[in-house]
Amino acid sequence: MSASDTNGSAKSLASNGGIGIANLPNQLHKIVTKKGTDFTLMVVGESGTGKTTFINTLLTTELIEPLDDASRRKKQLDKTVDINIHKAELEEKMFNVKLNVVDTPGFGDYVDNNDCWLPVVDFIENQYEQYLRQEQQPVRKGVVDMRVHACLYFIRPNGHTLKPLDVRAMKAIGARVNLIPIIAKADTLSPAALRQFKKRVMDVIDAQSIRIYQPPVESDDEHSTRRNKDIISAVPFAIIGSDREVKTEDGRHVKGRLYPWGVAEVENDEHCDFKKLRSLLIRTHMLDLISTTEEVHYDKYRTTQMKSRKFGEPKLKKPDNKKFRDEEEALRARFTEKVKLEENRFRQWEQRLIAERDRLNKDLEQEHNLVKQLESEIEAIANSGSPNGKFFRK
Amino acid sequence: MKDGSGEDNNVAPSVYSHVSRPGSHRYKNAKKGLPFNLMLVGESGLGRTTFLNTLCERVVVPPSELPNPEQAHIAEPMQFKHYAVDMEEDGMKIILNIIDTPGFGNGTDNETCFDQIQEYLETQFDDVLSEENRIKRNPKFKDSRVHALLYFINPTGHSLREIDIELMRRLGNRANVIPVIGRSDSLTPRELVLFKQRIMDDIAAYGIPVFSFPNSEDDEDDEETVEENAELRAMLPFATVGCEEVINEDGRPVRVRTYPWGVVQVDNDEHSDFDRLRYVLLNSHIGDLRERTQNDIYELYRTEKLSGNTGPAASNTNAEAAQSHATMAPHPRSVVA
Repeated sequence: MSASDTNGSAKSLASNGGIGIANLPNQLHKIVTKKGTDFTLMVVGESGTGKTTFINTLLTTELIEPLDDASRRKKQLDKTVDINIHKAELEEKMFNVKLNVVDTPGFGDYVDNNDCWLPVVDFIENQYEQYLRQEQQPVRKGVVDMRVHACLYFIRPNGHTLKPLDVRAMKAIGARVNLIPIIAKADTLSPAALRQFKKRVMDVIDAQSIRIYQPPVESDDEHSTRRNKDIISAVPFAIIGSDREVKTEDGRHVKGRLYPWGVAEVENDEHCDFKKLRSLLIRTHMLDLISTTEEVHYDKYRTTQMKSRKFGEPKLKKPDNKKFRDEEEALRARFTEKVKLEENRFRQWEQRLIAERDRLNKDLEQEHNLVKQLESEIEAIANSGSPNGKFFRK
Repeated sequence: MKDGSGEDNNVAPSVYSHVSRPGSHRYKNAKKGLPFNLMLVGESGLGRTTFLNTLCERVVVPPSELPNPEQAHIAEPMQFKHYAVDMEEDGMKIILNIIDTPGFGNGTDNETCFDQIQEYLETQFDDVLSEENRIKRNPKFKDSRVHALLYFINPTGHSLREIDIELMRRLGNRANVIPVIGRSDSLTPRELVLFKQRIMDDIAAYGIPVFSFPNSEDDEDDEETVEENAELRAMLPFATVGCEEVINEDGRPVRVRTYPWGVVQVDNDEHSDFDRLRYVLLNSHIGDLRERTQNDIYELYRTEKLSGNTGPAASNTNAEAAQSHATMAPHPRSVVA
């Protein structure tokens, strides 16, 4: 809204010496610093691709703990994709970030992985839905915002190309959220093989029209532009993860993986793209990830929903995933069983009551007969001519 | 095909030192070569073809042509590809027949893969069965029964996945299944030990029948053999690495994989179990694997087929009945520190 003159366009006022508008960013800085922000990161990929290790390496803390043997055994054959949310509050130089990391154990882990990306997609859309609903409330304070700002998709380096599962999953996910493809466990490919694999993956992404996150390149200063170009050229990011420190041959202590033939270093740009990815996620492009989520992905969701729904109307429930359906079936079966049992119990009780009633009736009849018998005896004595009869005659 | 003649004096004793039982099969003519049928199963990218090329010390499988990115969303169906390589091991000639299975586990839904492999294995048995029943047998009959099935496990570092469990479970009674870890150079030594342990725990827990280097039934093995079998059992699953290039070190050719942080030596026992596995397949246990296929596994199938009991449920009950002498449950593992 700008005040307009009769022509309809706003006047531009050049100020001499300035009236202090330039101080607005500083004020904003103070406000933002005080408020902090929510940042939600999602990791998707087959088990054993290093998702947990990557997150723990990125945050330099064990946010996600490894599964114990019992839980692991249970998950091996249960054929479902879980959504686990890990929360952490990070503070650095007085700036707070409420970090949410969403993990998806079970994704792509089974013999039949059809539709295994649906729980992921559902989760993403549910967060948009939750936010939409909260925005529509009369009281908007205390909004919980778990909209996913970046989804890291871990690709297993099979040295050839993207698997059909990856293609289909990435297509579905990339249409709804900032998708960042990652080559997991990059220390299993030689540099030449890695280059070739990266190229093949990007070829497939282009050919299949998979939408991935494109960070802005151009920036005010030369240095940033160059750094952005550097980051973009590394996509998909080849990652090595390690949460422990090891000693290299030349005596340095680094975060890395100790092999008999050498140390693969996490923070060495010659070995992997970890530093570039960390920069993208946190140091340089976190704000862009947040704003594109809000302005592009969430907005798209909002628009499509509002076109088809009235204000305040709840969303149509989509059919639940297989696990819920199965549980529902099991519950229904148990309920029917219980009802049957209770009915049997009542029937038996009824039988017993009837039997009891009959027995009592029989006793009653017996007593009745006895009474009758006595009565007739009295009658007989009364009517007979015996001397005792007079006692019984009225 | 029984051949009662004794040892061939041209053959080095090492090959037969573990098969030194009177009356066991011998191949009279070392010139023709001992046929060994090896099947390789595993998801793409686990180093199957590189393993094969490394095993045969030459490029048996040429590098696959560039996949079409526009077809990347379509899963290519599983195929059975055959290669025949003449090998020589310790003076003994071997005709190595390899059956590769590209496309295994590549789809979004892989349920049908197991049936296809089972069908292949059983077809080879059926061929032998019908040949045996012929009045006039074909002297040139080629026995294509699979003597060993190498199953490549994804080096996740965690434990077995559903596809691993299902495959080994379903096929463990139709072939000698030897589990191997593909691309094992993505695991540090510590991780590898834990991974192997968890895999063997899973194999025991789920009752998965794998080839576990059994000692001979009539207790005729000497102490050395028993020890060796125990050692090999403790190495399961074998950690394999494929050779990418051959470099020159002190004038000798060394098979390696080169990374920015170091060089993996394929034939170095500290770096991988490749050499040990090769020795097992082509030397020390080639006889055992062939015999177990022909005697125990084939006989089990034959019994089932002839008594009209085929199918997975029946084969399980028959397998249990034959458990005592045919399929061996994996022995409890000693913890390797």
